[in-house]
Amino acid sequence: MALLRRLLEPFRRRMRGWMRKRQGDDPDPVVLTGRRIYILPTALGTGFAGMLLLMMIGAMNYANNLALGLAFLLGSLGLVAMHHCHRTLAGLKLALATTHPVFAGQRARFAIALVNDSQQPRPELELTDDSLTTEPVRLDAATREPTRAVVEIGHPAERRGKVRLDRFEVSTRHPFGLFRAWAVLHMDLECIVYPRPSDRALSPPPHETDVGGAQDGPRGDEEYAGLRPFHSGDSPRRIAWKAYARGQGLQTKQFAGTTVISHVFDWDSLEGLGVEARLSQLCRWILDAHAAERAYGLKLPGVNVPPNVGDAHRQHCLTALALFPG
Amino acid sequence: MNAFLRQLDDPTQRLLWVVTALALSLLPHVANVPIWIVLFAAVTAAWRIAAQVRGWKLPPKWLRIVVVVLAVVSVLAGYRTLNGLEAGTALLVLMAASKLLETRDRRDLTVLLFISFVLLFAALLYEQGLMQLPYMLVAVWLLTATLMRVHQTTSRMPMREAMRMTAKMLLLSLPVAVAFFLLFPRLPGQFWALPARAGATSGINDEISPGDVSELSLSSGIAFRVTFTGSPPPPAERYWRGVVLHDFDGRTWRRPRGRFSTTPTVEPSGQEYDYRVTLEPNNRNWLFSLDLPTRWPTTRAFQSYDFQLLSAETISSPTSYRVRSHTQYTMTSELPMMQRNMDTALPGERNPRTRELARTLRAEHPDAVEFVQAVLQKFRNEEYFYTLEPPRLEADSVDDFLFNTRRGFCEHFASAFTALMRAGGVPARIVAGYQGGQYNPMGDYLIVRQSDAHAWSEVWIEGRGWVRVDPTAAVAPERIEQGLDAAVPEDEPVPGRMFGGNRMVLNLQLAWDALNSAWQNNVVEYDDTLQRSLFSTLGFDDVDWRSLGLLLTASLAAFFVALSAWLAWRFKPRMQDPAAQAYAQLCRKLGSGNLPRRPHEGPVDYLTRVGVARPELRADLDELRALYVSLRYGPLPMSAQLSRFRFLVNRLKL
Repeated sequence: MALLRRLLEPFRRRMRGWMRKRQGDDPDPVVLTGRRIYILPTALGTGFAGMLLLMMIGAMNYANNLALGLAFLLGSLGLVAMHHCHRTLAGLKLALATTHPVFAGQRARFAIALVNDSQQPRPELELTDDSLTTEPVRLDAATREPTRAVVEIGHPAERRGKVRLDRFEVSTRHPFGLFRAWAVLHMDLECIVYPRPSDRALSPPPHETDVGGAQDGPRGDEEYAGLRPFHSGDSPRRIAWKAYARGQGLQTKQFAGTTVISHVFDWDSLEGLGVEARLSQLCRWILDAHAAERAYGLKLPGVNVPPNVGDAHRQHCLTALALFPG
Repeated sequence: MNAFLRQLDDPTQRLLWVVTALALSLLPHVANVPIWIVLFAAVTAAWRIAAQVRGWKLPPKWLRIVVVVLAVVSVLAGYRTLNGLEAGTALLVLMAASKLLETRDRRDLTVLLFISFVLLFAALLYEQGLMQLPYMLVAVWLLTATLMRVHQTTSRMPMREAMRMTAKMLLLSLPVAVAFFLLFPRLPGQFWALPARAGATSGINDEISPGDVSELSLSSGIAFRVTFTGSPPPPAERYWRGVVLHDFDGRTWRRPRGRFSTTPTVEPSGQEYDYRVTLEPNNRNWLFSLDLPTRWPTTRAFQSYDFQLLSAETISSPTSYRVRSHTQYTMTSELPMMQRNMDTALPGERNPRTRELARTLRAEHPDAVEFVQAVLQKFRNEEYFYTLEPPRLEADSVDDFLFNTRRGFCEHFASAFTALMRAGGVPARIVAGYQGGQYNPMGDYLIVRQSDAHAWSEVWIEGRGWVRVDPTAAVAPERIEQGLDAAVPEDEPVPGRMFGGNRMVLNLQLAWDALNSAWQNNVVEYDDTLQRSLFSTLGFDDVDWRSLGLLLTASLAAFFVALSAWLAWRFKPRMQDPAAQAYAQLCRKLGSGNLPRRPHEGPVDYLTRVGVARPELRADLDELRALYVSLRYGPLPMSAQLSRFRFLVNRLKL
């Protein structure tokens, strides 16, 4: 089996190239037309056909018309099943829902929405990328609104950078498992893969500075020191919500005497490590700092992110690590 | 029950349905395979279900292999072959049972369902009656529904829904199945020889011993049906020739072992009868025909020296054949000496009084014809009675019958008459077959039943050849003219007499038989001849396999188109609201004019952009835009706006 697959591999690759050229890139959302749905009998379907052939030969030999009729009935049932199988996909709408960035070693997840606006249910829909097939889902018949299901395709992400899902298949074996209809989609989905965070955090954390964009101005020991206008990156905990409720706009509370340390995680501080090891380490620091809600910045060759806090900042920094050339 | 089913988990439910399907397809075979195989299958099924519910482990691989080997060996021991229908069926049942032991996933369950289909197929090879048809259809339906149920993973599809969906699919597939049935080229003959099927013989016997316990068949089962091309012969001429008996040991009449090659030359006269006989299986090779057959299908049958039609194969399934007969005939050739000796032989020491009587009568009537008349006169004038419940006879059965009991049915009279003839030196023999037949006006054919079984004599008259003489007619002419019911005394049981008076029951019986006969003749026996005549009535003369293939392809293509259209209609999207539809039409129109909407554009942006690109349409597009916004977001949309929108869309010239 494995050998057969190896022998067929060049053929498969050419087939894929041909499909891509034939269909072009798919828009988002895409509606499956009948012309791009392929269908072949499954192993069970081939067995079924073989059984019918034997039945036919047997019935003809015994000159038994009823047995022949049974073979014909089952055969045409198979043909009807083939049409049903094809129809289960035709007219299905697919849209990209979201992609979630992941860390190297995890699985990149592409969430894809399947939408049914027809008056018939579409059971047993599966998504397949090269390696894995999702659990089948069923879309009920649309009533007023189209029915929708979101399915995540996992794709192994071994290395940082971007994982591209050039192609995936949506398929079904409904109704009897005798045929498999599938369509190949080229939606060019990308997922950012962050470096794998290093297991141990090197200490001491490098380069402490109290100069940063997040907390400027006078600070003190837990002592309220007044309000200043909100800048992006300020911790939501420090926003004066009461003042906001009074209609004074967003204000940030200032405290005197707080020792606020903001870190700038610097590429150059990790002298002596390889590129990936440095990125892993930086990734670990960023995660720890984010978890502790401390402000941090990032310095890479050619990249300089000033200290800040928040999810968007974290994503920004991690993306910079992910896409770091080298 | 339903609640109980629902609380079981999905694999258990699936297994239960598959076992049900298997049982359904096994049921028709209970009589065909040894009982231990049925029990084995039942026990395996029960164990497998228990294992599923209780979570027992399935047997290890070596045990399963041992079971399969044992099964094959026991079938070999029982049937001495693995080939043939019986052994094949037994093997299939055993395979299904052992497959059940290792059923884990969906694939195994599917294989079991495939085996069930093959079992149903095998049941049809045994029996093609109209009675079986509803059962078969229901079984196929349940099997396909189970197949669908097994292949549903996303939600636990209730069996009712699967049944509903497969019913629709089966109905959809019916037209093409019927087209295939009618159009598929039928080949005369077989690919390989079929092993003969063992089975109990039915109908008349190849030996007659009057005076034993009455063995006359009282069954109203059908022996055969006859469709005449013209009108059927009158009842008194409906003698259906079966087997001819020559050897007599004083009590029992048998067929001789030897074969005689010379058949007398027959010169038929009078009306000829062309007809088609559809014979029910009797597990012998006798083909019944109206006395005397003059033309028969020579490829499948031959005629013996005493005018029996014999088939080349045992009749183990309903068979039909065409014959031409003449009821008037003479024979010009001489009777060969060997035959004359055989047909005048009597065991010397048996039935002395009979021989004495024959000698006396023969002395009075030296002419053979007068001698025959004298014997028949004796039967007619003296006290002989026709009854289906005659007393037992002594060892010298002819003496006992002629001089003591004087009661009997056709066999007794034929036996006594033939013995008297031989004793008087006239060659005589007994012919066993059927006499009469019920005319069914609903299908225009004759039904000949087992209860029409009859025996009569043939005597050799110089210059005329073999002449049929029916001594029963002398005693009970109504038996010949009107059938058994009229001849038998009131207090004796006769098949069908119970309902004799009820006209409606009789008509129902006849209608059911006509239906069966039509089924048998047009469906079960549908062959290349029928196919050709069907298509010539449709205007396709002389169809060959090429034109049939063409017709098949055409009907298949038509079916595919129709099916695709129907499915597309079923799967069509929910109706959008009128404004959205009108807007979609506008988009299509603009799109075909090379100004397609970009995926991110809303109506306002899009129509503005088109307006810039095509200034001459600008006024209309602006109005369309305003109308659309108003239809979508305005207070109650007005139909006037909608029709204006549609009007503008239609007016748009690109």
